[in-house]
Amino acid sequence: MNEQRRQILQMLTEGKITADEAERLIDALEREQPDSPPGAAPRPKPRPKYLRVVLSSADNFGGDGPGRVNVRVPLQLLRAGVRLTSLIPPQALSQVNVELAKSGVPIDLTQLKPQHIEELIEQLDDVTVDVDQPDAKVQVFCE
Amino acid sequence: MIPQLVTVRHRRANGRRLRLYVPVLPVLLVLSPLLVPAVLVGLVACLATRISPVGALRGAGQLLCALPGTRIEVAQGATALRISVR
Repeated sequence: MNEQRRQILQMLTEGKITADEAERLIDALEREQPDSPPGAAPRPKPRPKYLRVVLSSADNFGGDGPGRVNVRVPLQLLRAGVRLTSLIPPQALSQVNVELAKSGVPIDLTQLKPQHIEELIEQLDDVTVDVDQPDAKVQVFCE
Repeated sequence: MIPQLVTVRHRRANGRRLRLYVPVLPVLLVLSPLLVPAVLVGLVACLATRISPVGALRGAGQLLCALPGTRIEVAQGATALRISVR
């Protein structure tokens, strides 16, 4: 127990502060003191390995009750899938571009290089999507 | 490392449960006579669509090796399906 925490508890026992005040002070103390000792290099955040998609629905489709979908996909699988897309022949990509443009999505897939998608997947680590509705909840995150 | 075990669990609305454990390597060995013609068909398809067969094979291999850890669960009321690859 460090000195500051001891002082707070001492003040509490002497009746100088209330239990709520002591709790707030200890919380503030913990916020100020990170777990790692000062001067030590911060521990690298463990890299997520999986992309999780969790969907909970309160809708009662077909009278079966609420539904739930829980998908866990290794990020490595996404990378492998991205590498496969580089095998798509250019003529197929141009056809896809035309169809996308017709649908109002003017994206040129021929400009999308595998390294760009690799970078995208690298940054997926920090992505968290939460959709909350009264009857459904969707969460997309990496773990 | 290719997947070793695929587990399929199915719970029906009447409460009956089905658990299926599929060992991938023995199944692949059993199906190996069919794999050779399948690879040949894939090769022809690659040549017809001007895709590098080596790249396609490597991509498929990477995809297969990345599968372990995949888990898919779908539940609707009393019915549920869970597929996990280990």
